[in-house]
Amino acid sequence: MTHEPRNRRLLSRRGVVAAGLSALPVLALPATPRAQTASGGGLGTAAAPVEIRMIANEAFANQWQANMVPEFNKSFPHVRVKIDGVPYPELLAKSLLDSTGANPTYDIIVADDPWVPQLAQAGALLDLKADAKAWTAPDFDWEDFNAAPLAASAWRGKQYGVPLRSNMLLMFTNKTLYKKAGLPAPTPKLTWTEYLAQAPKLVQDTNGDGKVDAWAIDTYFTRDSLTPTIWQAILNSNGGALLDKDNKPAFNTPTGVAALQTHIDLLKYAPPGAKSHGFNESLQAFRQGQTATMFMWGSVFKATAVDPKTTTLKPDEVGIQVMPVGSKLPGTHRGIWNGTVAKKSAHPQAAWALLQWLSSKQGELWHANVLGAFPARKSTLATPPESAWLVPVYAALQQAYDAADAGQMWRPRSPKSDAVQQVLADETSRAMSGEASAADALASAAQKIGRMRL
Amino acid sequence: MASPTPRHPKARSRRVVRLTDLAGRWGFMSPAAVLLVATLAYPIFYTIRISFSELDLSTFSPGEWVGWDNYIDVLRDDRFWNALRVTGVYLALALPLQMVLGFGIAFLVNAEWRGRGAVRALFLIPMVVAPIVAGGVWRMMLDPLWGLANALIGLVGLGPIDWLGDPAWAMATIVIVDTWRWTPFVTLIATAALLALPGDVFEAAEIDGANWWTKFWFITLPLLVPVIAATFIVRWLGAVKMFDIALAATNGGPGRATNVINLFIYEEAFRSLNFAGAAAMAVIVLVGTMLLTAVFLRGSRMLEERH
Repeated sequence: MTHEPRNRRLLSRRGVVAAGLSALPVLALPATPRAQTASGGGLGTAAAPVEIRMIANEAFANQWQANMVPEFNKSFPHVRVKIDGVPYPELLAKSLLDSTGANPTYDIIVADDPWVPQLAQAGALLDLKADAKAWTAPDFDWEDFNAAPLAASAWRGKQYGVPLRSNMLLMFTNKTLYKKAGLPAPTPKLTWTEYLAQAPKLVQDTNGDGKVDAWAIDTYFTRDSLTPTIWQAILNSNGGALLDKDNKPAFNTPTGVAALQTHIDLLKYAPPGAKSHGFNESLQAFRQGQTATMFMWGSVFKATAVDPKTTTLKPDEVGIQVMPVGSKLPGTHRGIWNGTVAKKSAHPQAAWALLQWLSSKQGELWHANVLGAFPARKSTLATPPESAWLVPVYAALQQAYDAADAGQMWRPRSPKSDAVQQVLADETSRAMSGEASAADALASAAQKIGRMRL
Repeated sequence: MASPTPRHPKARSRRVVRLTDLAGRWGFMSPAAVLLVATLAYPIFYTIRISFSELDLSTFSPGEWVGWDNYIDVLRDDRFWNALRVTGVYLALALPLQMVLGFGIAFLVNAEWRGRGAVRALFLIPMVVAPIVAGGVWRMMLDPLWGLANALIGLVGLGPIDWLGDPAWAMATIVIVDTWRWTPFVTLIATAALLALPGDVFEAAEIDGANWWTKFWFITLPLLVPVIAATFIVRWLGAVKMFDIALAATNGGPGRATNVINLFIYEEAFRSLNFAGAAAMAVIVLVGTMLLTAVFLRGSRMLEERH
């Protein structure tokens, strides 16, 4: 073997690494704005139907394509809808990339709660109350939406979307494990003090073999951008805030430190290895009857309490309510999927027609009853649902919406929301793993977020 | 006035042949060269351009020129230095382990025994498993509540170990998963190298009465030095860009314990949408990787010359 050929091969290998490291800018393409169809593109005719495309989370895109689109077409037969499901981690980057390109593919972007400011700042979204006013049905009732979910798609006084799938961070309870521990089933009035006093009793040996086999809690503890939402819910319930009115960090306070310490202290009553637990692990533990409570997104209720294919629990043994009450409010955190119309869409009228239909009183009721999606409208929540299991869910949702609105229990309304969340995930995880104290972690997070110019 | 010296027709003919040959070679090479420039050079230069700009999200293209600001921000960010430190620890643990295990297993596999072919084939399985899948499966196996790993070490009275929740064990987990995945690659190369060693040298040594250790130390190892060096560099280049296993197994946690540099760059770019800062980091890492690779190449050349 000589030096030269080997070096050539290695240089080529090095080039491959270089290309990999620098792959991200390949995504950047020159963009020129496409003229928006002034008429809105119409709603199509039998001879010339309109086609619109939607980008959405793969978790529900197929369900919508198979069930929602045919239902929509009963009212709008000449609007063809194609929905592309994209994995969550790639959805924001793909949505931004597409909507800022010269010829965007998508007319509708289904954006997660914190993404609307980022998309709006990039000029990607239509202001529905102004730009789409002419295509808005006279009976479309904006006032009927609960304030918290509607605010998820508002930014700087403009309304860029409507809530399509609402979700709130709630407390799931296993009534059987409470009973075995000799404790009353929790109510929405349960306080953090009471909850923490009960927690040691919920760590128990349920089958009498001398080994602990059930624990009080499992939730997000791992390094994840959603883990800080638990801490923030505790902070907000005690009257604290993430940011002040000038978007400066407001969490590095005794209330903030105490809230993070409470989150860390929950680990004492969680299953072994819970430091690395997040969405999947806490769900698995709760569904197998190993934890008495779980702080989790309400949307998992059906698969956790009703569907025997995915849970060992029965509907009557699972409770759902807001998280414990702090010194000011019950705890919760908002997570809304918003339907938005791309500013460069060639068919904004048809795109808005679909979003209006799905978020209208009639459409939302259908969506909730048939597909089990959580509603945002007061009228839907006040209507008895067709499925009995939804009754306690609706009650918990309404409590959570009210608490979220009163305590501003959501992620930062800023184009840099995800960057803030990433810093919080980093620092809270350092505290959780014992690398830093709660106070040091929050001081470090406040310093980093303060430099971000939100 | 002196008239120009007439050139010899044969010399002219040779020049024409040379030029035609050169044109022919470049003609064949140019499509590949253009492709290489497009796929390698362009992304690199674009990354460098973004790293000196403020990325305009409304057009997704470099906007205002900001000079060294992005680099200064990155160098002031303790998370960047932590990610470099974590990557260094991971490389220092994983690479020697994989090299020793890979060549060690190759020696064992190279010996004559029944079922050697089947074992060789089995070794290839980890290499073809997608890293995200590997990370996820290991995550399940190492979970203290449901995982197989703690149950097994519990049989001999060890543990339980919080593989993913304890910072030190989380790094060990990443090294174990990466080693499980890449040791077969080293073994494969080492096996081929061992089979290619000249038999006559060993026969001569045996005639001279050399024992196993003497043959290994004075013949096998020196002859393998170029292969060991090349394999190390190839693995180094692969390991330095690792992030998928960390993403799937620990997501960089607990804390920042396994947040390797490429995972951090990925998070900054695609989660925090800080593309300019991520580009600056990518350029720093690229330059660092190139420099270290050059050092390793020089080192391997020196070793080859010495042996």
